[in-house]
Amino acid sequence: MREQVRFLLGQEPRELTVTDPTMTVLDYLRGEQRRCGTKEGCGEGDCGACTVVLGRLNDGRVRYEAVNACIQFLPTLDGTQLLTVEDLKRPDGSLHTVQQAMVETDGSQCGFCTPGFIMSMFALYQGTPNPPQRQEIDDCLAGNLCRCTGYGPIIAAAERMYAIGDRTGDAFRRLAGQTVDSLAAISDQETVCVGDGSRRFFAPATLDDLADLVLAHPDAQILAGGTDIGLWVTKQLRILDTIIYIGRVAELAEFGETDSTIEIGAAVTYSAAMELIAGHYPDLGELFRRLGAVQVRNAGTIGGNIANGSPIGDSPPPLIAAGATLHLRRGKDRRSLPLEAYFIDYGKQDRQPGEFVERITLPKPDAGTQFRAYKISKRFDQDISAVCAAFALRIENGRVAHIRIAFGGMAATPKRANQAEQCLSGRPWSEASVASAIAALAQDFQPITDMRASADYRLRVAGNLLRKFFIETTQASAATRVVGAGNFAHV
Amino acid sequence: MTNSETGLKERQFKIVGTRPLRPDGIDKVTGRARFGADMAAPGMLVGKILRSPHAHARIRSIDATKALVLPGVKAVVTHEDFAEVGADLQDVLENVMAQDKALYDGHAVAAVAAISAGVARKALRLIEVDYEILPHVTDVEAAMAAEAPVLHDDIVTSGVEPAPKTPSNVVHRHEFGHGDVAEGLAQADVVIEHDFKTAATHQGYIEPHACVGSVGPDGQGELWCCTQGHFWVRNTCAALLGMDVSHLRVTASEIGGGFGGKTTVFIDPVALALSRKAGRPVKIVMSREEVFRASGPTSSTAMTVKIGVRRDGRITAGEAVLKFQGGAFAGSPVDLGAMTAFACYDLEHVKTVAYDVVTNRPKQAAYRAPGAPMAAFAVESVIDELASKIGMDPIELRLKNAVENGSQSSYGPKFGPVGLVETLVAAREHEHYTAPLGANQGRGIASGFWFNFGGQTCVSLNINADGSVALAVGTPDIGGSRASMGQMAAEELGIGYDKVRTIVADTASLGYNDISEGSRVTFSTGLATIQAARDAIGKLCGRAAQTWGISPDAVVWEDGYARPAGANAGEFPPLSLAEIAETAAKTGGPIAGHCEVNAAGAGVSFATHLVDAEVDPETGRAKILRYTVVQDAGKAIHPSYVEGQYQGGAVQGVGWALNEEYIYGEDGRLQNPSFLDYRIPVASDLPMIDTVIVEVPNPGHPYGVRGVGETSIVPPLAAIANAVSAAAGVRLTELPMSPPRVLRGIDEAAANGKA
Ligand SMILES: Cc1cc2nc3c(=O)[nH]c(=O)nc-3n(C[C@H](O)[C@H](O)[C@H](O)COP(=O)(O)OP(=O)(O)OC[C@H]3O[C@@H](n4cnc5c(N)ncnc54)[C@H](O)[C@@H]3O)c2cc1C
Ligand code: FES
Ligand code: FES
Repeated sequence: MREQVRFLLGQEPRELTVTDPTMTVLDYLRGEQRRCGTKEGCGEGDCGACTVVLGRLNDGRVRYEAVNACIQFLPTLDGTQLLTVEDLKRPDGSLHTVQQAMVETDGSQCGFCTPGFIMSMFALYQGTPNPPQRQEIDDCLAGNLCRCTGYGPIIAAAERMYAIGDRTGDAFRRLAGQTVDSLAAISDQETVCVGDGSRRFFAPATLDDLADLVLAHPDAQILAGGTDIGLWVTKQLRILDTIIYIGRVAELAEFGETDSTIEIGAAVTYSAAMELIAGHYPDLGELFRRLGAVQVRNAGTIGGNIANGSPIGDSPPPLIAAGATLHLRRGKDRRSLPLEAYFIDYGKQDRQPGEFVERITLPKPDAGTQFRAYKISKRFDQDISAVCAAFALRIENGRVAHIRIAFGGMAATPKRANQAEQCLSGRPWSEASVASAIAALAQDFQPITDMRASADYRLRVAGNLLRKFFIETTQASAATRVVGAGNFAHV
Repeated sequence: MTNSETGLKERQFKIVGTRPLRPDGIDKVTGRARFGADMAAPGMLVGKILRSPHAHARIRSIDATKALVLPGVKAVVTHEDFAEVGADLQDVLENVMAQDKALYDGHAVAAVAAISAGVARKALRLIEVDYEILPHVTDVEAAMAAEAPVLHDDIVTSGVEPAPKTPSNVVHRHEFGHGDVAEGLAQADVVIEHDFKTAATHQGYIEPHACVGSVGPDGQGELWCCTQGHFWVRNTCAALLGMDVSHLRVTASEIGGGFGGKTTVFIDPVALALSRKAGRPVKIVMSREEVFRASGPTSSTAMTVKIGVRRDGRITAGEAVLKFQGGAFAGSPVDLGAMTAFACYDLEHVKTVAYDVVTNRPKQAAYRAPGAPMAAFAVESVIDELASKIGMDPIELRLKNAVENGSQSSYGPKFGPVGLVETLVAAREHEHYTAPLGANQGRGIASGFWFNFGGQTCVSLNINADGSVALAVGTPDIGGSRASMGQMAAEELGIGYDKVRTIVADTASLGYNDISEGSRVTFSTGLATIQAARDAIGKLCGRAAQTWGISPDAVVWEDGYARPAGANAGEFPPLSLAEIAETAAKTGGPIAGHCEVNAAGAGVSFATHLVDAEVDPETGRAKILRYTVVQDAGKAIHPSYVEGQYQGGAVQGVGWALNEEYIYGEDGRLQNPSFLDYRIPVASDLPMIDTVIVEVPNPGHPYGVRGVGETSIVPPLAAIANAVSAAAGVRLTELPMSPPRVLRGIDEAAANGKA
């Protein structure tokens, strides 16, 4: 066991004994370090004012990703490099290209949001060699709120940084070798354990250590990206006694494909998995592009979204429609179940004490299967779904040979539309069958009214989405989506 | 120099109208800029506020005994720890700390100071408040009903005849207008009347309220806070604490957005009261949830508008009834809504009636042109429909009725030179206006008006021995005003912009300055800066005269140099500002210019906005495709910051029109007090906002400046509603036009056979 958390703050190695395991990175920076450049606008991952960049070793290189410091717990920094707006200036005191661009385009009005935007743009600048398109810029900025500018000058800055900067000469690229060495030097296979005795935080580095720890502490809170759990602490003010963090377990961060499946470890973030998944399920890739914003996707995991069991989580409906399998592990025992079977009721999932989610298997779509996913929310980016819908359809000889329909936001759990599926199965894929399936949705679902939408709206839109799916699969060039790029937007 | 309009148009500026870097530009990109929450003081405690979970409840007792014995707790305050105040501040005090009743979900009832946030939070849970829960009301029309629960026993509606005898939630009835509306409507060929509703929205500044307060054993206090008006904060806090005004010094931090929401006090008096009791500095930072629940959002409204028009496009009469709830205390901006509603139009017969209503919601605070966007939404929607009814281009209809120099305004005074016609013409000529639209798309247009304020202003301009200039202003900089002030000072003095450093001085260093609100800063502080510069120039010329041994009258100031006024004055080589400054110690001591003024003559301003929107008929979702703002700035000192105001206002309008709303549950609690559930636009929600600056100089300002910060939010609600209604094929009369509302509108129209 190692009882310190080790990371780099800028280029400086830090070794901390952490007594408050749920102290946030933001409180550490602003309170303990008096690095006040990183701002707090909400403390719940919504505004991006607290955006910092984490450097992680990835195939022998450092990958920089923006995350929200306000919902990241300090011990999760172990093995990473933490960069804040204070780290960006060049050694001679002049501005980093991103900062210079922001000054030149008048990207700040009040300037409170500015450090957060700078860090998001810095991550883009490090990770994207070519000048980005408007959509890439929107994706990069969607997790940062600015109330003053209307974003125009900030978007201009994101373009400008490529025009004025010499990316290859960037100080962070020049120091990359040194950073890799420093990060390698602090990484090990020891389980990290910090806390004050009564509250403990474990961060094992291997899968077997994790399995043992979860078995030994069946009441512990398993922590993945913390984009749900972080808010329990910062917003609901819950006290968590024992936490087991899975983010250091290399095996769980693995993902890849076999001939017929896509395999996703429980600690794989949306950002990591997005490209692979989008390659086979373009619509699911697009849905992930709209899940939270980049800071949330860089930390949040698909495993966490499933394990959390929320009826409005965005990944379960499309994964259920695609026929995903969930793999659980308890000590040395493993079991698998169809994803839909995992969700028993509101707040209740099929997970035993001492058990954890290890992996998700997603079958690759058969040739001829049409797959679509839709997310209905008030705002395109960074919003919680009122309704999320996914459809998988294969037609053989003019009849529906395979249909899976799953919805989020329509019941106490993510759920398949069994009645609607029955109305379609084996029938012609026609207006008439679709109309009967739409009518059947009222038997499948009795949605609730809340601040996101009324029950009526939800049911109405669920039916309309099925109709939209029908139109999209029957009329080649129908323009059915108003928002987003080309064919893939979800509205 | 002449102040006449023509003179202003001819004046060639060197620095005004250019786009130099702002003095705080670098600090903002490096994280050096210090905002409200970035301040720390030695020995500082953390203050936290206990808030009512009930929308309406009598407070029978507050018992803090258990909290006070918790180790680490240093002070607890309740309303008893504040001074008695006059009637003018009674509501402010009661909003800062509840007295006998909690009037809304989130109303402060007590506060603690402790050694850490954790201890303070624990202490809050130990304070026992005995509430008697009362029935509540949060909707404006429900609050006006006879059977509604009454918030204040001492509010009896004023402004109605005969005066009522029983208390009610209607504070006041206002009426504005002239002519005879019935007679006007009788002359109309087409009359349209609609009811409208708008939800309460929040300014949504990203920086939560934050302050550090400290009161020493000698009773001397200091406050550091993020505010739009630290002089007002000082006066108010001093009154609430029973201190001499001069015993409290307030420093305004950098401010992370305000938009009107930081023109009052919430936490500042509490931090000072806690500090006075604890004997240590106390910092309070609101959480985002507190900002939503307990700072000042806008009014929610119910409105009815009726307008008649002749086939030739002449409006014969306009009438509006506006009902605004302003939260738990009197003072919604319904009067301003009523005054601005028809301000764009030159009408013979016009009448607006306005009701100020209280409900169990947080006390509203100003939000950019308070009251005007809602009223414009209602009026401009009806105008839009009238245009289509009589088959006239909507800009043409507006041009036929637009106010001009000399028009009688609907709220009283006659207008001077104004730029509404110019904005309409520029909008019509803009390529946007005739660009093609696709299926499910619609174009909307609307105009809007705002008064703009002047007010009390004091600046000091100090000439340093090296020829550089320190300009001290008293209006917090919320959008780059330090740069604009520096430009005006440099222009007047004839020196480089980089020679002027503008700072926002604390309250002990300058005379009283009104709040940075009402779009007054570039106008009033700019005017005061120019006059202070002229004052300094007079002194510089005097020193030159002394050096040359000639009469001060024989010296003129040109392009940064003192020169003899003419051949008669004698022949001397010109003296630069730096040269005069260098010898100031020998010629009479420091040189400084001052100005104290209650600035009048703030020119009103008009804008016209063009919007294209698309609606998805299956989900009801609306998307803004294109947006163009045309607005009169009088004179744009720093065009980038003027454009910034135009864009920022338009985008806040987009949020208000499409998504933002306060949602209260049956229990009277706010259901969406977070940015995740209170949706403000993000980058991908918006197109690039195009801007056109029109300049019709304001004769009341030496350079012609009009305020620009607020007018930009007046037209968007209406313009977007007109665009979305056109795209959806149905008139939408309720904001926000969220997908469920739009879909319902489409469904209802289909059911009525309209769509
Ligand atoms: C600003 C913001 C926006 C968001 N937007 C969206 C959105 O658009 N759509 C959406 O669906 N969600 C959204 N979320 C919620 C959240 O990001 C997702 O649910 C995310 O996938 C959670 O993953 P995580 O790794 O962060 O989980 P964590 O917060 O670490 O954990 C979540 C839950 O899963 C459990 N858990 C995690 N891993 C395992 C495991 N291996 N085995 C057993 N249990 C485990 C935890 O114990 C916990 O109960 C948003 C959150 C924020 C803060
Ligand atoms: S403070 Fe708002 S996202 Fe972290
Ligand atoms: S500049 Fe003020 S919030 Fe972005």
